[in-house]
Amino acid sequence: MSAPLSNLENTTITEQLLLRLKIPTKLRNLEAVLILFAMVITSFALALVDLGATGKLNVAIIGLSLGLGVIVLALHLALRFVARDADPLILPIVTLLNGLGIAMIHRLDIANGLTGWQSQATRQMVWTAIAIVVAIAVIVIVRNHRVLQRYRYLWMAAGIFLLLLPLVPFIGVTINGARLWVNLGIVSFQPGEIGKIALALFFAGYLVTARDSLSMVGKKFLGVRWPQLKDLGPIFVVWMVAMMVLIFQRDMGTSLLYFGLFLVLMYVATGRAIWFVVGGGLFGAGAFVASRFLTYVEGRFTAWLDSFNPAVYEAIGGSYQLVQGLFGFASGGVIGTGFGAGHPGIVPLAESDYIVASLGEELGLVGIFAILSLYLLFISRGMRIGINGADDFGRLLAVGLTFVIALQVFIVIGGVTRVIPVTGLTTPFLAAGGSSLVANWIIVALLLRLSDTVRHQRDGGDAA
Amino acid sequence: MSELTLFILRFGFLAILWIFVFAVVFALRSDLFGHYTRRSDRAVPDITVNPAAQAPTFIPPLDAPVNADPARTLTITAGAREGLEIPLDADQLTIGRSAQSGLVIRDEYTSTHHARLQLWNGDWVIQDLSSTNGTFVNNQRVSVPTPVPLYTPVSIGSTIFELRP
Repeated sequence: MSAPLSNLENTTITEQLLLRLKIPTKLRNLEAVLILFAMVITSFALALVDLGATGKLNVAIIGLSLGLGVIVLALHLALRFVARDADPLILPIVTLLNGLGIAMIHRLDIANGLTGWQSQATRQMVWTAIAIVVAIAVIVIVRNHRVLQRYRYLWMAAGIFLLLLPLVPFIGVTINGARLWVNLGIVSFQPGEIGKIALALFFAGYLVTARDSLSMVGKKFLGVRWPQLKDLGPIFVVWMVAMMVLIFQRDMGTSLLYFGLFLVLMYVATGRAIWFVVGGGLFGAGAFVASRFLTYVEGRFTAWLDSFNPAVYEAIGGSYQLVQGLFGFASGGVIGTGFGAGHPGIVPLAESDYIVASLGEELGLVGIFAILSLYLLFISRGMRIGINGADDFGRLLAVGLTFVIALQVFIVIGGVTRVIPVTGLTTPFLAAGGSSLVANWIIVALLLRLSDTVRHQRDGGDAA
Repeated sequence: MSELTLFILRFGFLAILWIFVFAVVFALRSDLFGHYTRRSDRAVPDITVNPAAQAPTFIPPLDAPVNADPARTLTITAGAREGLEIPLDADQLTIGRSAQSGLVIRDEYTSTHHARLQLWNGDWVIQDLSSTNGTFVNNQRVSVPTPVPLYTPVSIGSTIFELRP
């Protein structure tokens, strides 16, 4: 035995041992330290933005950094009460990403001359607060994730409803060619962002029950066990929905996101790589046909493959935005121009779709790689929760929620860096946009809940 | 503010960003629980020590005659919590899967109330509580209360422990 702690002298050694085994607040203390670290970096970023762009510090940044700090610490305190064993790294990583996003949006506000309630950064701050309050509500209300499995068909209905809501006349709004928004008078939001959570819940709940038939049967042909025709039903239905999104909502990113999510969950549930072949073939064929017959998809492909053609560059809906983003990256170079010293405002939609290009210009390759590392760490934590999950539904759900974020990061950053055609998704946690923030913070809350369950059960507690 | 100061601050910002990334990686590595490095959590049995289930602490008075010198600690030599030492303060310790046990061992081979370790005239005696998979002292399955000498392996499920002074 090592030396007992002095203030525990009058307890028995077994009690000390128990304390040492459980160490209930150790994780939360680590989390608190890292959150404070993330807050310091955020404040530093905001200060650099002001110093770089205007040469003096503005009082607005105090509100932004304190606002984020207070609300994140509220979530941290909630975790101390209702999810003491939750993963300690997720919250700090997400806090830093959110903070960097606010700093960059604040920088673009300066470039665009927006202040007060007009400023995007203030609105982003308010949305962050709303999102975290929703996240707290989720983590307080959902004490046992297995309950969510019961309502899987409700999630399906909710997911499809939210997905198709923008198509409803009068409330659906078309912005930049994509019909993804709903305008309810005061606020407009993207229901599809919330819809992706509902669908992840449904896919996980459905595949837990359906995976046996999906994984066991089928004829062997060319050394691969092919699925039976009737088992192709679900993948076909999801493919149809994805194609409908592609055709009617005119957004390839959303379509790819939902379909990719379903494919990955199917692979994880059944362990059969053949689903990727089937699904990838279906989606590839659909996208190819769409690129021939739908002008907007064709336009996106042309802008991607032939970006530097002056005709494409000048065209309306051409590659101007993409190429300006690339010029931004190029002028940033390895270490960037520094906050406030670049010209990220030139790129249209620099604060939402192209925030990565703005960050790339001002923080450089080094900064972008740090941001990508943060995403990588977040995703690795999520996958870890999935691997260690206590039950099949929890595992699938953790993998699904994590993968949604991973795929979204790939689709957005891949689009901005011209790896794949540009699509209209938002960069999780960084980009300006309320529905995206709310949705991604709900994902964080669910992952925290799942990770708490994993550790709680392992430590011998009887999970309810 | 001069250009140079600003440049140093910007460089410092990138450095601090990466320090954060490495701090997270370091925290991952030194994750105290180590749960996240194991692939399968089902295969690993779970052992906890339950102080509430032990009888009140018995501290022998210094001048009290002690006939032999009974073992004072139980050391787990193989199994999930290898190296764990449990002080034998009370004069009995129950072992089993039940959360009420003094030593909780959770694996597939342990019964709810598996065995009881008892101090009997200065000797520790183990009694199997008709467990499914048995209790073994020195690889011999015990059916009657059996004295456990010091440094003799006792196995319950996949866990092996011995008594030490």
